[in-house]
Amino acid sequence: MGGYGDVKLLQEDGLRLDGRKLDEMRPVKIEAGVLPAADGSAMVTHGLNVAVAAVYGPMEAHPRKIQRQDRAVIDVRYNMAPFSTSDRIRPGFNRRSREISKVTAEALESVVLVERYPRSKIRVEIEILAAEAGTRCAGITAAAVALADAGIPMRDLIVGVASGKIEDTVVLDLDKAEDNYGQADLPVGILPNTGEIAFLQMDGDLSPDEYNLAMEYNFKAAKEIHEIMVEALQKRYEGGEA
Amino acid sequence: MVQLVPSLLRQELARLAEEDQRLDGRGRWEARDVTLETDCLYNAEGSAKVVMGGTIVYAGVKFELRTPWPDRPTQGSLMCGAELRPVAGRKYEPGPPSPQSIELSRVVDRGIRESNCIDMESLCIVPGEKVWGVMIDIHVMSDQGNIFDACGLAAIAALRTAVVPAERFDVGEDHKLQVSSTPIMASFTRAGGRFVYDPSEEEELGGDERIHITLGDEGHLHSLQKGLRGVFTPAEFAEIFDVAQKHCAELRKLVAKKEGN
Repeated sequence: MGGYGDVKLLQEDGLRLDGRKLDEMRPVKIEAGVLPAADGSAMVTHGLNVAVAAVYGPMEAHPRKIQRQDRAVIDVRYNMAPFSTSDRIRPGFNRRSREISKVTAEALESVVLVERYPRSKIRVEIEILAAEAGTRCAGITAAAVALADAGIPMRDLIVGVASGKIEDTVVLDLDKAEDNYGQADLPVGILPNTGEIAFLQMDGDLSPDEYNLAMEYNFKAAKEIHEIMVEALQKRYEGGEA
Repeated sequence: MVQLVPSLLRQELARLAEEDQRLDGRGRWEARDVTLETDCLYNAEGSAKVVMGGTIVYAGVKFELRTPWPDRPTQGSLMCGAELRPVAGRKYEPGPPSPQSIELSRVVDRGIRESNCIDMESLCIVPGEKVWGVMIDIHVMSDQGNIFDACGLAAIAALRTAVVPAERFDVGEDHKLQVSSTPIMASFTRAGGRFVYDPSEEEELGGDERIHITLGDEGHLHSLQKGLRGVFTPAEFAEIFDVAQKHCAELRKLVAKKEGN
């Protein structure tokens, strides 16, 4: 959190700079099956963020040392394309993308029925093509739809959403300015049917009450995004495409 | 990953070649459907998405301010990089750039650079002090054959629709990047013993050498590359060169249509 106090993020009428209400998320669009080469794939457009996920596998896990005798391992790579941000990013892994990949993999391993595929590997590739705050959440949502598109059994879908705090006010789904100049960010991965949480990060400053309200917003948004995810999968498998 | 080449696939390609047919029913010199979208990436100063059959490629252009090379104080620079990340297909693995992706980057880069479509002098802001560095990054999202042509097309379309973000860097007004021509690549793979245009994934897997030709507006050659094991005759080259001219002219029209001129 940047925490620059002099940037105005809330307008006189209580709306945010882009005109959203406090508990309003940016528009979300989801399409399943966007990459012909992958076993499963999805594109999530969340505000101006564009995240594409590809799933390959289950396949033999190699090198052998990563194999688990009792379950599959999920190998996640979260990567921002060089042109996804306003300043070009040098290609390749950095510490941020490594950390996000690790915790995303662990979140997905909590919902995929990994015990069905001992000694195998499921590859999940998350590519961020355009970034405007909230890419890890868009990536998680895309990964969940791509896993479902690949026909991999899961206990539930997982939805990436975030709330945060700007000008001492809790708001849902921070955009770039709010992320840069706000006071807190709470991204989570929610299992919409069971109400459990599989992904959790936070930075900044939140009181216990603010945390509770932020979480309430997150659960509300997860429900909305879940409907869009289900629609995308239904469209892919029930409507139209042969 | 080392890929096994099923001998059945090679046999089938040879049989089809004898009957002058292809696995997907195309004619020998026929292209798959190509769609081109530009201005499709929010944070890139120029962008393009190319879909060729099941192959999907994005290209994004970014600019940076840098000091010119001491021996070329009035020239900016151009860099073109293609990433073959594991998202593109089952056969791709994580790690440092593979020889294959370096070859791809360099072939695309040469085609654009050697056509001189970008006047390096036009990228100069203050001689000896400040010039633009233009960077084209190509992201292969789905490889179902002929990523070379898809990458080349995405790169030139992104460049031709790019806007120099001078205001953001406080060096004048935003303006269109000057690109004086439209170099286009055409690729051929030997499948079943004869060359075919726009190879599919199966034709690449069960085929032999490939040839990439980049042609400029006047039909001049700007880059050539032969890849993989195999040999070809001058007569074979003459034949595919004619086909390349025809397809490059068509794709050039497609790019022009996106620019609205």
